[in-house]
Amino acid sequence: MSSWLSSAVTRAEAVSDWLAPQRQASLALLRDAKWPTRKTEAWKYLPINVWDNTELQADAAESTDATSGVIEGLNSLDLVFVNGQLQSVPGDDLPAGLTVVSLADASGDARAWAAETFTAVKPARHLFGLVNDVLATQGVLIDVAAAAVIEQPIRIVNVLTKGYEAHTRVLVRLGEHAKATVIEHYVGDQRSKNTGFAEYKVGDSAYLEHYRFALQSGESLSIGGSHFELSARAELSSHLVGFGSTLQRVDVDVTHAGEHAFAKLNAIYLLDGKELFDLHSTIEHAVPNGTTEENVRGIVADNSRAVFNGRIHIHRGAQKTLAELNNRNLLMSDRAEINTKPELEIYADDVRCAHGATIAEIDKKALYYMQSRGVSRSQAQIMLNFGFINELVDQMPNQVLADWLRPQLRDRFAGMEVK
Amino acid sequence: MLSIKNLHASVEEKNILKGLDLEIKPGEVHAIMGPNGAGKSTLGYVLTGREGYSVEQGSATLDGVDLLALEAEERARAGLFLAFQYPVEIPGVSNLEFLKASVDAVREARGEESLSSKDFLKMAREASKKVNLPADFLKRGVNEGFSGGEKKRNEILQMLLLKPKLCILDESDSGLDIDALQVVAEGVNSQRSPDRSFIVVTHYQRLLDYIKPDFVHVLSDGKIVKSGDYSLAHELESQGYAWLKDQPAADEVAEG
Repeated sequence: MSSWLSSAVTRAEAVSDWLAPQRQASLALLRDAKWPTRKTEAWKYLPINVWDNTELQADAAESTDATSGVIEGLNSLDLVFVNGQLQSVPGDDLPAGLTVVSLADASGDARAWAAETFTAVKPARHLFGLVNDVLATQGVLIDVAAAAVIEQPIRIVNVLTKGYEAHTRVLVRLGEHAKATVIEHYVGDQRSKNTGFAEYKVGDSAYLEHYRFALQSGESLSIGGSHFELSARAELSSHLVGFGSTLQRVDVDVTHAGEHAFAKLNAIYLLDGKELFDLHSTIEHAVPNGTTEENVRGIVADNSRAVFNGRIHIHRGAQKTLAELNNRNLLMSDRAEINTKPELEIYADDVRCAHGATIAEIDKKALYYMQSRGVSRSQAQIMLNFGFINELVDQMPNQVLADWLRPQLRDRFAGMEVK
Repeated sequence: MLSIKNLHASVEEKNILKGLDLEIKPGEVHAIMGPNGAGKSTLGYVLTGREGYSVEQGSATLDGVDLLALEAEERARAGLFLAFQYPVEIPGVSNLEFLKASVDAVREARGEESLSSKDFLKMAREASKKVNLPADFLKRGVNEGFSGGEKKRNEILQMLLLKPKLCILDESDSGLDIDALQVVAEGVNSQRSPDRSFIVVTHYQRLLDYIKPDFVHVLSDGKIVKSGDYSLAHELESQGYAWLKDQPAADEVAEG
């Protein structure tokens, strides 16, 4: 067993909060867990040993830069974790129908639904999901009452600074016909480790607009996921943006638990230098009449490596499912690497499904064409890359977020070179 | 204006241009005709600096500026323009955004002030009208889903906006019906001026009926083997290029 994992198990054994009963099964699994090797399919392309081998050293002089997480003009309800510690929970001035409590302060009904939701949305959890199960003593519970329409976006910010290890959990419940926007926002570029998982239960006919900005970069090590369970006629519009870092993995998993649910999943990743980014996505169509549209686009430059594993599983009897999965990649250098694996598993005979993956180099003809009109090579490159990604940014329902992202994406493209 | 001397160029180690000479003065229109594979398109690519085309020998200057020493974008900024035979589709980049970036870059190089988005839009709309492209084509991806004729007219639109010194039209007539051909020709004719020159590369005399050249050259096996006035185009149209085989190339004559 890895030394880090044994220390995690030891630490987990000391956790004795009210969720301890829910943590037991995961702890038992962890005690027997083997550290992934290159033969472990789920971790095949991510050098997970980096997690084990990275020593963390806190730097007393390092100040917390919470401003890096600010999104101007958004007017969101912010829940901020700094190095895994929840800073504060908003008090009584919340919009009607919205309840927010910290995991530590939960009581009564909140404990009841949280305990139910804790591992149920994604029962088969990978190694770091289990780690989060047993170590995430910090978290928030967000409860949107039936028919409540919460206009103000709820933003969960995770700021990580040098030397910290953090494990946080977000649990969200949307009642019937409820509407809400939840943003998971991760920032920090210093050497730190975190696992951050969010579990969403989206009720009948409810609408969830979801963003995960996995913008940790530099030396940070981050493994997390957003898991959704959709009830009948529920709608999910989810948008993931990932920058790579020393080690980064995000899992976006959706279960169609009720019929006629609709899931739109967009994801973008932009990698440079020696960055890594691993996106795993599993869509379970457990019932008939569900729809999934998944579009994943990535740009991979220099020596970086992207992994995309997208699985759509259509259960026996899940007739009339519509599912589309598309992964398109742009390779900026011949040393960059993309491992893409779209998978369709279909056990029903009356479904419409499509999947595809492409890997292309930047269109040299288009580059030359633009240069021949006076546009510099570097600007042409930025325009081409931006065009490729912007199609998905345009689909974000929240314009403030789209406008906030675009210059950051342009900055990132500006640094990338065709090699 | 344009001075090409003894130009030798190759693609993938295959020699295409084998000692091409061409002098073009301001205001002149030169047509280049010739059989397939003679190097007509290569000339445009070499002059504009396409990757993969290497120059082994010779020189090409535009108003004394050594074109071959410049990056592709610098050549465009120096006033060179190629209307592509096969314009490139660029999904995700709007035509307007592309045109603005081009015009901004070229204006900056000329020391002119950049245009406001509003002024540029107005200019772009007017130019679209001239080439008979609906204004909503400005919002679409560059050449994305355009028909062959629309792509060619979009090239002329770019020429109208960029106001180059020297325009090379690479088979701008191919695949066009007579109406589209007239639009292209009118676009070119409207830009003819004492300080702007054109190279019109074509297989057919038809385009030259609309854009009357001052000189016609026959390009064969990488060299200009015959030059004349407008009447040469008629001659070629009726005789074809078979006579080229019977005629010794210029260097063979010199050596002989």
